[in-house]
Amino acid sequence: MLDVARLAVEAARRAGADHAEARVTTDETEAITVRDERMEGVDRTSSTGVGIRVLAGGRWGFAATARLDEEDVERTAALAVSIARAAARLPGEAVRLAPVEPAQARWETPIVEDPFEVPLAEKIALLMEATHRARGVAGVTYAEGTLDFFRRRSWFASSEGAAIEQTITQSGGGLQATAVGDEDVQRRSFPDSFRGHHRSAGYEHVRMLGLVAEAERIGREAVELLAAPECPSEVTTLVLDANQMELQIHESIGHAIELDRVLGMELAYAGGSFLRPEDLGRRRYGSPLLAVTADATLPGGLGTFGFDDEGVPAQRVPIIEDGVLVNFLTSRETAPIVGRTSNGTARADGWGHLPLIRMTNISIEPREGTLAEIIGDTEDGMYLSTNTSWSIDDHRINFQFGCEVAWRIRKGRLTQLYRNPNYTGTTPEFWGSLDAVAGREDWVVYGTPNCGKGQPSQVGRVGHGVAPARFRGVQVGVRAS
Amino acid sequence: MTGPIGEDAFRRVAEAALELAGVDGVEVLFVHEWGGLTRFANSEIHQSTASEDTGLRVRVALGDRVGVVATNAFSPEGAAAAAASARELASVSGPDPLWPGLAPAADYPRLDRYDEATAGLGPQERAAAVAELVARCPEGFRAAGAFETRAVEVGIANTEGQLCWGPWTQASLTTVVSGPDGGDGFAEHIGARVADVNPAALGERAADKARRAANPRPIEPGVYPVVLEPAATATLVGFLAWIGFAGRDYIEGRSCFSGKAGQQVAAPSVSIRDDVTDPAMIGVGFDFEGTPKRRLDLIREGVFLDAVYDRRTARQADRAEGSTGHGLPSPNPEGPFPLHLCMDPGEASFEEMIAATDRGLLVTRFHYANVVNPIESTITGMTRDGTFWIEGGEVREPVRNLRFTQSTIEALSSVTAIGREARLASEFFFSASLVPALAIEAFRFSGASDH
Repeated sequence: MLDVARLAVEAARRAGADHAEARVTTDETEAITVRDERMEGVDRTSSTGVGIRVLAGGRWGFAATARLDEEDVERTAALAVSIARAAARLPGEAVRLAPVEPAQARWETPIVEDPFEVPLAEKIALLMEATHRARGVAGVTYAEGTLDFFRRRSWFASSEGAAIEQTITQSGGGLQATAVGDEDVQRRSFPDSFRGHHRSAGYEHVRMLGLVAEAERIGREAVELLAAPECPSEVTTLVLDANQMELQIHESIGHAIELDRVLGMELAYAGGSFLRPEDLGRRRYGSPLLAVTADATLPGGLGTFGFDDEGVPAQRVPIIEDGVLVNFLTSRETAPIVGRTSNGTARADGWGHLPLIRMTNISIEPREGTLAEIIGDTEDGMYLSTNTSWSIDDHRINFQFGCEVAWRIRKGRLTQLYRNPNYTGTTPEFWGSLDAVAGREDWVVYGTPNCGKGQPSQVGRVGHGVAPARFRGVQVGVRAS
Repeated sequence: MTGPIGEDAFRRVAEAALELAGVDGVEVLFVHEWGGLTRFANSEIHQSTASEDTGLRVRVALGDRVGVVATNAFSPEGAAAAAASARELASVSGPDPLWPGLAPAADYPRLDRYDEATAGLGPQERAAAVAELVARCPEGFRAAGAFETRAVEVGIANTEGQLCWGPWTQASLTTVVSGPDGGDGFAEHIGARVADVNPAALGERAADKARRAANPRPIEPGVYPVVLEPAATATLVGFLAWIGFAGRDYIEGRSCFSGKAGQQVAAPSVSIRDDVTDPAMIGVGFDFEGTPKRRLDLIREGVFLDAVYDRRTARQADRAEGSTGHGLPSPNPEGPFPLHLCMDPGEASFEEMIAATDRGLLVTRFHYANVVNPIESTITGMTRDGTFWIEGGEVREPVRNLRFTQSTIEALSSVTAIGREARLASEFFFSASLVPALAIEAFRFSGASDH
């Protein structure tokens, strides 16, 4: 396949490209859904094609095709060049790429057990048992178990001489128990909502999830939630579980620090960012406890790889240090605009899309103590776990999140259970109120395999290393009436 | 640029899968998609793409055991290999007691939604249109957006003898124009034909709104009367597709309409249907299982009638009429979904709706909404790209963006006027719907942003 990528690069150069990159990619997936020991669906997908990106006259062009014969590859390369030339219809600065040493390398996700080789019957049996256990709890209406596996093989070549072959393998699974009442529906998920906990890993990750062991607990909690009172509306101390910190960081930090958003390149679709290029090194993002890294080398993260889709090596870079913004997520095109080199975050959703700045693994650095110690140290507040919904404005300022469950914290102990909790805030004030982050013991790498961005819309697979944390003076319990 | 592969070529490839031996049913879903998108920001073209893909999704049944394999190897060999692989999956899969079998042979509406000019539009033409739009920006204003032209052909063939095929095109130009003093303005056009896109008019409309939206003042959150432009209405209607009309949620008691068939759930002026046959709509006359699509009334004069169904949920609901033609590509545990929602227009002009508002807010569109409580139909989201204070029946000054947290049913129950013109409007998470402007008596804004 590397030969096809090289052919595409050569064809683009012959068509007039000043710079050319080609990625041949094969994506394979397997998804299994079981509800109450009954099959809801099993499917496998495979998609192969080549995406060709060129610079001609300082402008980008991108074209992609599933047809890999020589004639179609050459036609697609020429189309990419004509698209780049068409972009000159409007005046603008020529694209200037940050330098990168062309790599000739191979990289693959380290895995113990190939998830695509594990017998399907074994996977189904796991979900049958887990849903049986959860459904066995009196009051549970149904239980649903899911497993998802993803593999991307890519072959990247560039006119600078790069030749990179990568194989990324990811596995995930989850369990949900749902209790339907006369006037409400409650759900508990384990280990995470939206089809569970995903990592760059083999089937060994699924074996460690404990779906069967936790099934009865989440079943009980779903039923208890149905009888629990609504989360009251109040301003209080908020403790977030790690699986909600995942979404909090994703939406109010991860997207805001994408330099293409900062520069207005995503404005008309998912919006921009409240950050400005001149904020680097100056802007206080949160309390001094807040330290955030972008780490594409993090073991197990969905945003872990050897090289990004511009051929830039994976890196670990600080984003926020002692609460101050020190870096953006950058690409070869955007990094020079802020006087830096690319930190390797340009990734594409398969062969049919051009690379965009995407989160790698955007993680809050652990501090000290455990979740239990944070709760034990809280006089009065709310503890919320497991995301149900997210919403944030087009500058990444005003947000509102919903969670599956809340418990009142009184004098250091979890007391009353509440259903339908949510909370709202504004990004700088919220992170400014951070006053505790748990330590390494409770720090978990979660995956978000459904991050949307770009036009045409792309789905990104990103990771977050997160720990439970505490915030002061937060509005919880937003109601429609 | 390419063109349709055609019904005959699709059938020849599909037959290689349908011939699979030793199974109880085979279905082949074919989607061929091609087109280009010219994206612009800061009044420059910065990302432009073109792509083509041809996908096959083969579903095989062995009794009530079902397997699905998708591939983009479009050839008889690729189809046969996918079918064999799907048979293997089915053979080790567990039973699905709700398996309804494949769609029977039935005629379906042939819709004329394919436009050669749109399917064949090239990057030069798209760039010229974007330049025309950008040229309407005043000095110091910047335009961002995307101009997409694409074509899709969809086919379904199964061993029950059903064979459906149809192409459609879409041309959409969306822009946000930003001024130097914090004002943004939005405009879009979505339709089947590129000839209907007027870039200059869209640029003018967005720039005019950005001019008027400059220096927005803060406003206290609270309950206000609102006038929603069609793009904002599309968010309310789009979310009802998910939390209201989806058949599986409905029959399992998880929909805001569960148990409410025949009940008044909106103002008598509100009627919503799913109707791909509406001339303004885009798509084909069958769903992804091969069930014909027809106009389906969902809310008529404020009364909820029924949800949408695919074959599986129709069986789950013991629905004698079967699927309503809202199946998605298999497997689909989430169940059916309406993709072509239309709200009936009313009689009011936009100016009359403003004039009838004493003190309230004009909302251009919402941003990144999501569900707060599905049973209450409560959703939350932000305003963006032009929010204005209305006083004394006139649009006064721009205001900063607000967060709403609002029951959709309650909002639709307090509709006081409906615009007389329905427009195809996009929504961030959902397909475009054909909707008018709405005047709503009480709409709850629960928070505010800084811009």
